[in-house]
Amino acid sequence: MNLVNTAILDPATGWFILAAFSALWILLGWYFGRRNQRLDDYVLAGRRVGLALGTATVMATWVTSNTTMAAPQLALQMGIWGMIGYSLGSVGLFLFAPLARRVRRLMPAGYTSGDFIRLRYGNFAWRVFLLISLFYSLGWLVSMGMAGGILIHALTGISYHYGMTVILSICVGYTLLGGLRAVIGTDFIQALLILTGAVIIAFLAIREIGLDTIHASVLADRPELLNLLMPASIMFLFNNLLFGVGEIFHSNVWWSRAFAFREGVGFRAFALAGILWAPIPIVAGFIALATPALGLNVPAADMVGPMVAAQILGTTGAVLVLIMVFAALSSSLDSLLAATSILVVEDIYRRHLKPDASAAEMRSATARIIVGLGILTWILCAPRLTTLAELLYFTGAFVASTIWPIAAGLFWRRANTAGAVAGMILGSAAGLYSYFAVGFYVAALVGAAVSMVCVATISSLKPAQFDFADLQEMHPLESSSGGSS
Amino acid sequence: MTITATAFSWLIAIALVLTIAAPIILLGLLARDWKKGQLW
Repeated sequence: MNLVNTAILDPATGWFILAAFSALWILLGWYFGRRNQRLDDYVLAGRRVGLALGTATVMATWVTSNTTMAAPQLALQMGIWGMIGYSLGSVGLFLFAPLARRVRRLMPAGYTSGDFIRLRYGNFAWRVFLLISLFYSLGWLVSMGMAGGILIHALTGISYHYGMTVILSICVGYTLLGGLRAVIGTDFIQALLILTGAVIIAFLAIREIGLDTIHASVLADRPELLNLLMPASIMFLFNNLLFGVGEIFHSNVWWSRAFAFREGVGFRAFALAGILWAPIPIVAGFIALATPALGLNVPAADMVGPMVAAQILGTTGAVLVLIMVFAALSSSLDSLLAATSILVVEDIYRRHLKPDASAAEMRSATARIIVGLGILTWILCAPRLTTLAELLYFTGAFVASTIWPIAAGLFWRRANTAGAVAGMILGSAAGLYSYFAVGFYVAALVGAAVSMVCVATISSLKPAQFDFADLQEMHPLESSSGGSS
Repeated sequence: MTITATAFSWLIAIALVLTIAAPIILLGLLARDWKKGQLW
């Protein structure tokens, strides 16, 4: 058996690649954001994003470091269903497509997912939702920051703290420079880099080893990985699906895109992104099944992807993986920074603290919040308290409980406030209980089920008669100053 | 119930073809949006 050192590249090469791509992202961030004038340009890319950039930004944002690193890990641990289960993360994108179209139509001047909950269910439900959404956003930010430090260290030997600081600083830097335009523009290039890297690694793995050889060696050494009836994997599959749906339905990362896309683009962009995203976990994941054929001893399951790439392609493979990982991390972190900052500014700063804030004050507050979120994320990442999977799946119970309040709220006029609030609170509580009592792989499943029962039952007992026209709230900045800064 | 070598190969091949097509589709859409002035 070969034992491969996990630090595949030397630190000098790692620093060179990080410096080159950091400079590129900063330059592009400035370039894409140079024409931002109004507040809407900065926080919603002018609300006129076309299909190409729209599809790419949805796809690149949903390809996180987890997709490129955890997909091989899941293939190694859960086999065929691990890869397919991960690719079902695309279901959330498909299901959000009609929601994106409806959101754009019902709320042409909307800013955040919080705006919808406030107008649809009132202030108490809005504040419960904000707690869940901000907790999730922070969890995702911290898990991405930690992933950056861990992966850069594992691939290059650069220390965890340096790697984490670089990735956070660069994303804060170019998001600050160009706002959502910078995020969407760089996402297009990052999507191309991720796709190209995944294809090259997969293609060369097939050429070097062969699919038949991979299948035969797994069948001989780890036949359970090819078993289509592996119970734990099937449970994981459904939990992952619901977790993904919950993440996408509630998070302002996706709502801000629905508001930013030009009329008629939202449905097509989310649906096409779902089709193009679905095969990525399979292409990125199957190379893990080459470990028996290569005779690799894998000391840490989450490093199996880079190890196989480096074993097959040498330094070139490791460089490709580093570029892919850097692109995947950046495309998610920048989106989170942009979407969370406008959520904080619109729903907390303006709605709670300064109702008469001008557009210039809101833009300045957005910039300060982007920097503040970067610093807070760094502080929470620094001690490296928990594992990535633990942190991310912990939020599963919370986000899954928002699926039904949002879906029913958008399409069912009878959905009422009590049902939505009970769905979010009791769904989160039940999901959390099952997380500790059973395991991480059922938290989202239980949270979504309890929330569904609450929303359906309570709304049926005392149906609301909501008028969807009430969602068309004119933003004060739009009505008073045309949103100019 | 084990996945056969043929089904396994088809699964990976289809995923790979879609992933190869993705950047081509994105660049094609970018050119179309650019021509129509609908990039941003």
